[in-house]
Amino acid sequence: MRGVLHRFVAVVGLCLGLYASALAQSPPEAVAGGAAPAAAVVALTRPSLVAQDTVNAAHTGWMMTSTALVLLMTLPGIALFYAGMVRKKNVLNTMASVVAIAALVSLLWFAAGYSLAFTPGNAWLGGWERAGFAGLDFDLAGGQLAVSHVAPHIPESVYAMFQLTFAIITAALLVGALVERMRFSAMLVFIGLWTLVVYAPVAHWVWEPGGWLAQMGALDFAGGSVVHVNAGVAGLVCAWFLGRRTGYGREPFEPYSLGLTMAGAGLLWVGWFGFNAGSAVAADGRAGLAMAVTHLAAAAGALAWMLGEWVVRGRPSLLGLCSGLVAGLVAITPAAGFVTLRSAVVIGLVAGLACYWGATGLKRLLRVDDSLDVFGVHGIGGIVGSLLTGVLASRTVGGVPGSLLTQAIGVGAVMAYSLVATAVLLWLVNFAMGLRVDEQSEQTGLDIAQHREHLGG
Amino acid sequence: MPDSDKLAIAAHLHVLLRRKTGRVTDTEWMAANAEYALEIVRFARLRAQEDNAPELAEWADRLDQAVHQAPTPAARKPLLDVATQAVRQRLAPPPPPPPPEVPRYVGGIR
Repeated sequence: MRGVLHRFVAVVGLCLGLYASALAQSPPEAVAGGAAPAAAVVALTRPSLVAQDTVNAAHTGWMMTSTALVLLMTLPGIALFYAGMVRKKNVLNTMASVVAIAALVSLLWFAAGYSLAFTPGNAWLGGWERAGFAGLDFDLAGGQLAVSHVAPHIPESVYAMFQLTFAIITAALLVGALVERMRFSAMLVFIGLWTLVVYAPVAHWVWEPGGWLAQMGALDFAGGSVVHVNAGVAGLVCAWFLGRRTGYGREPFEPYSLGLTMAGAGLLWVGWFGFNAGSAVAADGRAGLAMAVTHLAAAAGALAWMLGEWVVRGRPSLLGLCSGLVAGLVAITPAAGFVTLRSAVVIGLVAGLACYWGATGLKRLLRVDDSLDVFGVHGIGGIVGSLLTGVLASRTVGGVPGSLLTQAIGVGAVMAYSLVATAVLLWLVNFAMGLRVDEQSEQTGLDIAQHREHLGG
Repeated sequence: MPDSDKLAIAAHLHVLLRRKTGRVTDTEWMAANAEYALEIVRFARLRAQEDNAPELAEWADRLDQAVHQAPTPAARKPLLDVATQAVRQRLAPPPPPPPPEVPRYVGGIR
């Protein structure tokens, strides 16, 4: 009876959230098109309708490609990367979590997330004018379409989709901290709330021109703090709140297949070109440089982790190489459009070693079962990358100087908000429906216990 | 057989016993104490028969073999090789022994 009640409360809560966001829709912004295209684009301070010839075909094509690449990072990139590292009895649950998150976050982004993150509001949160994607219009007969003031050269539908793939992957990253012990239903409710309450406001602070960190001049080209520090800290809080897996620290937790993990890491590496070079929101020289620095940092990160592991443990591992390349990619994310190629190699090398420590030494110090090292890799990599952006940002490349102090304030604010808000949400979900599966289900494995499915083979 | 291999076998048997029979064992003590290890071997074989779990019997055999394995006798070497090795050892002292290996995937995947 209690279980039924909990499910009822969860479903009603979710429906109310969606309904409230739908009610809050405001009519589309007044048409700004019809005037000279260039003038209209320059003057934009909020999402607006403009003449169709204002948008650039090359930029639009590249952004659509980037959107597909970033979605590929999650489906199947993250799904494979994580599923390969869990025990055989939890592989399907891990994959199901990632797929369900992709679907859930998509609808929430459509309902409210995009509007809260990327429309003008106040310094802390955007408005509701794009709730339900209201106003993302395309008027063929009238020759007009909607563009965002953040990306005036591409259709707003493309920009909203591009940003959606970022919201999806950020939420999917959290799965790594909570695998093998969290109830599937509780995970969905928590991730839904987290996307709206934590991710959307932080994206607004950093990427919407009116956000307080953007106003302060904090640099985050593609999401070092919005995506990685945010997900890393939230993952750590999740792991702490859920508690350790039964047998953690006493029994070996054999990964199902590190071959799957390698396939996932490869997809992440390729997809990251869309993530970073796409964040230039143009098919131009800056995007080209962002792509090059992304590749170099990944390579440096992989080799740094490999060498660190070789020196400390006597052998290099495949998982170390895969983790190192992700560390390099994470760290170059905030810096991609601001640093030179040589700086990218430095960032990759530092991140590879720092994240190796984060996933081993720091993990032992923290004594938290952050199962797949979301904080060790994404949290530490994001912090290292964001701070080094302040040190290594080149005015020649990005047009702005870096400031270590500003970067530190940005990272610290994101960490603090993510920590507190995530803890509050977990407490609420735990109170409403319980977060963790029972011990019997954990022993049996979540594939059977949560989905009545079996991997086979 | 190196201690790390014994520990790995003990860890496998520990997991299998807990899953198949619910019996909780001490992995490290199993690898270190022959008497305890043999008792676990006896128990595992018994339950393997009773519960029709061939995997249990297989890992019990492995542990049994590891406990009883005598140190391998040194192979005969030509006199020239022995002399060369002695000279090398005088010229360069042997490297320090590597640190003991931590069992894999215990307390973290990386």
